[in-house]
Amino acid sequence: MNQSNYDVIVIGAGFGGPVAARLCAQAGLSVLLLERGAEVGDKIISGLTIPFYGFVFGPDFIREGNPPIERPVDGIINYILTDIENGRMEIEDTLRVPAPFSPVVAFGYNAYCKPFCQWLAQKAVDAGARLRTSVVVSDFLYENGRIAGVITDGGERISAKIVLNAEGSQGLLAVKAGVREKYPPDTISLADVYDYEMDKADVDRIFGHSLRFCWGWDEQKIAPPLGRGNGLMVWPYRGSLHFMQDQCIRKDDGPVYNLKKALATYHKNVTEKLPWWRDEVAPKVKLRARMWDGFEIFVGLNEKLRDMPNYTDGMLLIGDVAGLENTELCDGVPTAWFSGEIAARVAIEAIQKKDFSASFLKKYSDQVRAHPIIHWSVRARNRYNLRFAQEKHELAELKRCIHEGWGLGAFGHTSSALVKTALPMIQEDPAVIGQWVRLFLRYYYNWHHERFDYNCKKPLVPKRPPTPSRVLALSLKAMDLGLKAASPFLSRTAGTLLPKAQNADRFMQKVLPTAEPIYLAALKATDPLARRLGEAFLKALVNMDPTALDGDSTERSRQ
Amino acid sequence: MSRKNEAIPGVDWVAGAGRFVSVKKSLCTGCGDCVKVCLGGCFEIRDGKARVKTLSTCMECASCWYACSQDAVSFRWPKGGCGFRTNWG
Ligand SMILES: Cc1cc2nc3c(=O)[nH]c(=O)nc-3n(C[C@H](O)[C@H](O)[C@H](O)COP(=O)(O)OP(=O)(O)OC[C@H]3O[C@@H](n4cnc5c(N)ncnc54)[C@H](O)[C@@H]3O)c2cc1C
Repeated sequence: MNQSNYDVIVIGAGFGGPVAARLCAQAGLSVLLLERGAEVGDKIISGLTIPFYGFVFGPDFIREGNPPIERPVDGIINYILTDIENGRMEIEDTLRVPAPFSPVVAFGYNAYCKPFCQWLAQKAVDAGARLRTSVVVSDFLYENGRIAGVITDGGERISAKIVLNAEGSQGLLAVKAGVREKYPPDTISLADVYDYEMDKADVDRIFGHSLRFCWGWDEQKIAPPLGRGNGLMVWPYRGSLHFMQDQCIRKDDGPVYNLKKALATYHKNVTEKLPWWRDEVAPKVKLRARMWDGFEIFVGLNEKLRDMPNYTDGMLLIGDVAGLENTELCDGVPTAWFSGEIAARVAIEAIQKKDFSASFLKKYSDQVRAHPIIHWSVRARNRYNLRFAQEKHELAELKRCIHEGWGLGAFGHTSSALVKTALPMIQEDPAVIGQWVRLFLRYYYNWHHERFDYNCKKPLVPKRPPTPSRVLALSLKAMDLGLKAASPFLSRTAGTLLPKAQNADRFMQKVLPTAEPIYLAALKATDPLARRLGEAFLKALVNMDPTALDGDSTERSRQ
Repeated sequence: MSRKNEAIPGVDWVAGAGRFVSVKKSLCTGCGDCVKVCLGGCFEIRDGKARVKTLSTCMECASCWYACSQDAVSFRWPKGGCGFRTNWG
């Protein structure tokens, strides 16, 4: 018999829902996680690079866990196509983690949605949440005007003290409940995604650890140019690629595009004309899947939509349904995780205080809007501005937008958000720095050895190498001791720097024009040596005893 | 029971989804926006009005719902566990 009463019901086992479900269950609440797919992840279509800030600043069970990833990413290569017929293009590749740190210190991690969301959902179940799949929430139960549960497509009525809604970008339920409006078509981009199989050795050789983005003039019909779309993006996975083109459904109040025709033309042009795809990639790939989905990339740029409530009496909205997709990088996973975590905290407090009113739940909205990375995510404008340069054929302006969006110039508008998020964490407990270091090392180790918590081909703790390299393990021990000794100092320093954090963007804007050429020249000069160092470092890393890399929570869950 | 479509590899359609997308004739102006945005080719115009031709290639992206300025397209989720599924998203 299915239980009909819970403390918390979470709608959607995508990226945000399971985070909220796990944290509520860990706090001892009874939690039901409902998913419309027969299996978690069946319905989720994505890129997908999850940027580093999701892992570094997100929930600690992810930071300290071993989720399934497809490839660490060390940066972006932007191809600016000026004449596709003659294969002419310029390259902007200044946003990359340099050797010897790459690819261990990663810009982000590529992953397939299904195994990743299954990992998240399993973590929620491990903490005591109940997961039910093949269940569509079709409406809400109301009690004295507040949401007090859900009604499923099977007619079941399940009540809850609070509903956490992580239903994803379409937001059918949020619209139905009158919390948000349906997003207008100029905020929605329809993404056409192709999954290609490719030998891992070929992915390693051709792509390494870099994402490839393409931008170009409208009439070349190669990178969806109409309105505020993206260019072509290619994500290298372990032994496959994701290829994505996307295009807003319409521009401003203009007519709706013929996307069926446009996206088919772009795909044909890319695969037949883009030199590196045609000559290097095409002979090595086999199409495995084609999928498409819409995402709300420009909700944040519409002030009215951005400021719409993400809560109502008895319910909070998490992730895409709250309009939290990043307007620049198009990433929505980190903000789904951050908002999932905040929602859980507020839900736990609401249950303690027995107050589910909108006036109490407003604190969720306040905290989400105050989160420095969410605040930046829903406002960055380079992608939006890029279309004007495309329309006018202004190469210098196009290059500027690309440099500031997906080149080193990005530090001119992301630094404050990153520093403002990092400093309070260091102030609270400087040991978090050790977690960050272990995160990067462990994720690379896990990727290399395919060592993941569930559905893994190899056991969580693979046989120790016969002669494990001890250098890194000892260095980590030394780091822990150093951090412990310096803890009061680090905490104080973080506290002192915090009020100045909002100047970080301005500082970077000032120094970057001078510092960038020097930095790039220095990288070039030291590259051969740095690469050799990097190789030695990787060798030591993959040969170490992995237990030295595990975080506290992994140890706790093993006990 | 599930179906595949040769033109759209890597995706299964699980039967029993129901008629989850439909067009309200009284509101439809026959502008064809739903036909233009649907990558699955699910819509057609007949006698000056849009109609759902098939849902067997629908990826549930809701672009038709977003695109319709007349609110003539009604969109809900297919029955739990039905409709498209993929491992490669
Ligand atoms: C093509 C594409 C590329 C992208 N690339 C990136 C990227 O590179 N990096 C990045 O960070 N983000 C990317 N995103 C965005 C990212 O996928 C989303 O931001 C993220 O999935 C949002 O998480 P969520 O939990 O809000 O919703 P989702 O992950 O969409 O989860 C919603 C879940 O709820 C379920 N559900 C919905 N309605 C109901 C209901 N009524 N009853 C029961 N269950 C329901 C769904 O089946 C789904 O499992 C991309 C998105 C797309 C479409």
